[in-house]
Amino acid sequence: MQVRIRLALVTANQPLVTGQKREEKQLEASLDALLSQVADLKNSLGSFIYKLENEYDRLTWPSVLDSFALLSGQLNTLNKVLKHEKTPLFRNQVIIPLVLSPDRDEDLMRQTEGRVPVFSHEVVPDHLRTKPDPEVEEQEKQLTTDAARIGADAAQKQIQSLNKMCSNLLEKISKEERESESGGLRPNKQTFNPADTNALVAAVAFGKGLSNWRPSGSSGPGQPGQPGAGTILAGASGLQPVQMAGAPSQQQPMLSGVQMAQAGQPGKMPSGIKTNIKSASMHPYQR
Amino acid sequence: MEAPPVTMMPVTGGTINMMEYLLQGSVLDHSLESLIHRLRGLCDNMEPETFLDHEMVFLLKGQQASPFVLRARRSMDRAGAPWHLRYLGQPEMGDKNRHALVRNCVDIATSENLTDFLMEMGFRMDHEFVAKGHLFRKGIMKIMVYKIFRILVPGNTDSTEALSLSYLVELSVVAPAGQDMVSDDMRNFAEQLKPLVHLEKIDPKRLM
Repeated sequence: MQVRIRLALVTANQPLVTGQKREEKQLEASLDALLSQVADLKNSLGSFIYKLENEYDRLTWPSVLDSFALLSGQLNTLNKVLKHEKTPLFRNQVIIPLVLSPDRDEDLMRQTEGRVPVFSHEVVPDHLRTKPDPEVEEQEKQLTTDAARIGADAAQKQIQSLNKMCSNLLEKISKEERESESGGLRPNKQTFNPADTNALVAAVAFGKGLSNWRPSGSSGPGQPGQPGAGTILAGASGLQPVQMAGAPSQQQPMLSGVQMAQAGQPGKMPSGIKTNIKSASMHPYQR
Repeated sequence: MEAPPVTMMPVTGGTINMMEYLLQGSVLDHSLESLIHRLRGLCDNMEPETFLDHEMVFLLKGQQASPFVLRARRSMDRAGAPWHLRYLGQPEMGDKNRHALVRNCVDIATSENLTDFLMEMGFRMDHEFVAKGHLFRKGIMKIMVYKIFRILVPGNTDSTEALSLSYLVELSVVAPAGQDMVSDDMRNFAEQLKPLVHLEKIDPKRLM
């Protein structure tokens, strides 16, 4: 570990001499684990960036999601390693640079994959920084003072309005979700029709609705049949004279009769139709 | 090997009294695919079987009030298959403990001159239809999903017209009389087809 040769790790709270060795070992192990996790993460990030830069034209959304899932999984593992009870608290460790040199360092270059060529006073503050950038610190300070200036009442009000907005938004989203879900289910809901079931069962059981060629005179379980003529045909032929009778002027074609009725008393049309259909459906049985 | 004497054959009836247990339902055309898919998952692993049958129903008017009904069925897509003559008794709804409709049934395979024979006996054709659909099996259960076509010109099975926009779904078991336990299996199977199809015992007398 090149870096650790250059940097002295100073344990802040000096433990008892007997526990020191054990602690050091533990630190070493957890650092190794951390390093391997970070290396994994770095590899996945690298391949993801490579994908984005070179395969953006044939990149599919699922594969992007896969990459994201991988990254988030690795970040989770990293967090787990950090939070593991056996991992010593890294923040208790202090790192101090022992040697700064303006000369190019090939070892360091290799270890950092060409990113840090020299270990000089220029780069060390950036790499060993434990506090945010001065600009960020400034911004944070600004925010803190802003927050402090607002009175408790005003702050409470703002919190409440934000909460209200959030809950409203949530409600809207969940409502939308529910609607789209039920909308997706609705067309699937109607997979059968009880009326059709009855019609089909009646058809196979005693030929109801099927053309029957029952010889005249015989009365089957169904309606009285006609020789050669299906019930459907009978129904159609039965329709004709009834509608003619229903139309006011017998000699005129059906259509003009309907039109006349429509022009004369538009309000009464539907009832006229109703009686026509009713009598038409009853008629075939009398023939 | 000597053929058994004719008198030994159970043709005289009464030796084996077979009953058909039946549940019926229907499925709309657009949901047929889903049903077929589910049935293929639920039923015995076999090649999907389809059929195209022409059924003719014959009546014999005797002295009794109700005519005697026989059903003759022939396959239209399988040349050389025997005709199928079937007698179905009056359906019994039974009580709540029996989950399927039950009716007496006699099935016989016959030669293709069956219609002539029936006509000679005095039977007259009452109605006919074409059934086209799929057949599934699970153990002794038989599941038929088929469409019924009405025949527009007597005897001409080429000009047909679908009866409705649904397929009839029938779950049936033929078993010796008194085997009411099979209706439990049928009920369980029917449960698995819900809510796609509701198979029920439907009393056809109610629909007359």
